[in-house]
Amino acid sequence: MDIKKVYMGRSVEEVVRLLGEYENKAKVIAGGTDIVIALRNKVIEPELLIDISKVEELKGIKEDEEYITIGSITTFTEIVESEIFQSNLYGLHKACKMVGSPQIRNKGTIGGNIANGSPAADSVPPLMALDSIVTLLSIEGTREISLEDYYYDSIKENELLVNVKFKKPKDNQVLTFAKLGLRKALAISRLTLSSFIEFDDNIITSIRVASGALAKFPMREKEVEDYLLGKSLNEETIEGAIEALRNSMDERLKGRPTLPYKRIAISTILREILEEALVFEKGVKAW
Amino acid sequence: MVDISLTVNDRLYEISIDENMRLIDVLRDELGLIGTKEGCGEGECGACTVIMDGEIVNSCLVMGFQANGSNIVTIEGLKKDGKLHPVQRAYIEAGAVQCGFCIPGMVLATKALLDKNPNPSDEEIREGISGNLCRCTGYNKMLVATKKAMVYMKGE
Repeated sequence: MDIKKVYMGRSVEEVVRLLGEYENKAKVIAGGTDIVIALRNKVIEPELLIDISKVEELKGIKEDEEYITIGSITTFTEIVESEIFQSNLYGLHKACKMVGSPQIRNKGTIGGNIANGSPAADSVPPLMALDSIVTLLSIEGTREISLEDYYYDSIKENELLVNVKFKKPKDNQVLTFAKLGLRKALAISRLTLSSFIEFDDNIITSIRVASGALAKFPMREKEVEDYLLGKSLNEETIEGAIEALRNSMDERLKGRPTLPYKRIAISTILREILEEALVFEKGVKAW
Repeated sequence: MVDISLTVNDRLYEISIDENMRLIDVLRDELGLIGTKEGCGEGECGACTVIMDGEIVNSCLVMGFQANGSNIVTIEGLKKDGKLHPVQRAYIEAGAVQCGFCIPGMVLATKALLDKNPNPSDEEIREGISGNLCRCTGYNKMLVATKKAMVYMKGE
C-alpha cells in the first residue's frame, strides 16, 4: 500500500467533489472487506482513500409507497436484522445471512458487494431478480442504471454508488434464494440462484431468475424465465426448468472444467428456490 | 501521517498514524496490544477479531484511520480488577485452548455473541463463532465453554 492521503468523508457532496478532483487517483472505502485485500495486493494503488463508512446519507433502509431503497453503506448484518426482509422478501435476508462470516457481515456493505463486481457476490442475484436500480452520483450529476445493465456499464472512477432500490413486492410475488458453497461459513459461492415470481391462481404470471458464479458476473437466466412463464410449478416443470438452465450453461461455460460439476449442482439449487416459491404460494410444502 | 482518536479498552488514545496502517497494525505496533493476532490477513480466519462499537470485526480489514472515534475492545480489555472475564474462565476450564493462536478472536466472538444474546442455542453459538477458524481442536470444546460462560455471566 502506498496511500498518501486519507479523508474521513462526512457528506455525499464532498465525497463526490473529491472523486471528481482526484479521478482515478482516489478510491472510496466503506466496509473494507474486499478493498483492503486489493490494496495490500496492489491490485489498486490510489493516492487518496476516502472513508464513506460514516456518511449518514448513505446509511439505512427506506420504504415509501412504491420503492424500498437501501443505502449503499448498509451492512449485511443490518439487512439481516431488518424486519423488511421477511416473508416474500426473505430471499434477500437469506442471501445476506450467508455472506462470509459474522465479522464480514458486520462490515461488508451492499454497495460494496455491487461495486466490487465479483461474479460470486451473494446479494446481487436477489437484487437483480427484484429488477433493482442502482443510483450513481458524480459531479456531472445522477445516473440511474438497472442492476442487470450495471455490469456492462459499471461505476466510473468519479462516481459514488449511493443506493440500490426496487419496487415493493405485491402479496402474490415472492423472492427466493439458494447458495452452494464448499462449507457453511467463510466460503465463496460456487453457485447462487435467486427467483422473483408472481403467481396468479397457481400460474406464473411474471418471473425473473438471476444467477451468481455461473458467468463472468451475476446475470439473468432468460431461458429459465421463458420456460416457466405461464406454467404452474410442479415436478415436471421444475425438471424442465433445470433442463433449460443446463442448456444455456452448456453454451456459456463450454470447455470450463467446472461445467460437469455445475450441471449437476444446479439441479438442487434451482429446485430449492422454486420449491421455496411454491411453499410461499401454497402456504404448505407440496412434497 | 493522520491524527486519530480512539478508545481502546476504556482508555482514550490520541495518536498520529501512517495512512497505510490497518487497525491491527495500530493495535499491535502503535499501542503494543499484541494479544490481537494476525492469521491470514484477508478476513478468512478471524484471528484478528476485535470488538468495534459493539460488533466483532476483522481488524485486518479495517483501515486504521477508519477507527477514528470508535470504541474498541481487544482481548487485553476483558480482564477486570485482576479477574478473568467469565468467557476466559470458561474457555480454560473447558480445555478449549490448545495452541492459543485463535483464542483472542474466538473469546471476543463468544463475548460479543453473549452480550447480544445471553441464551444462544447450539446452532446460534456455532454461527456466532463461525468466522473464527481453529486448526487444533474441533469446535466442540468452544461450544462447551460458551455454555459454561452463559451460566457464569448470569450469576454475575
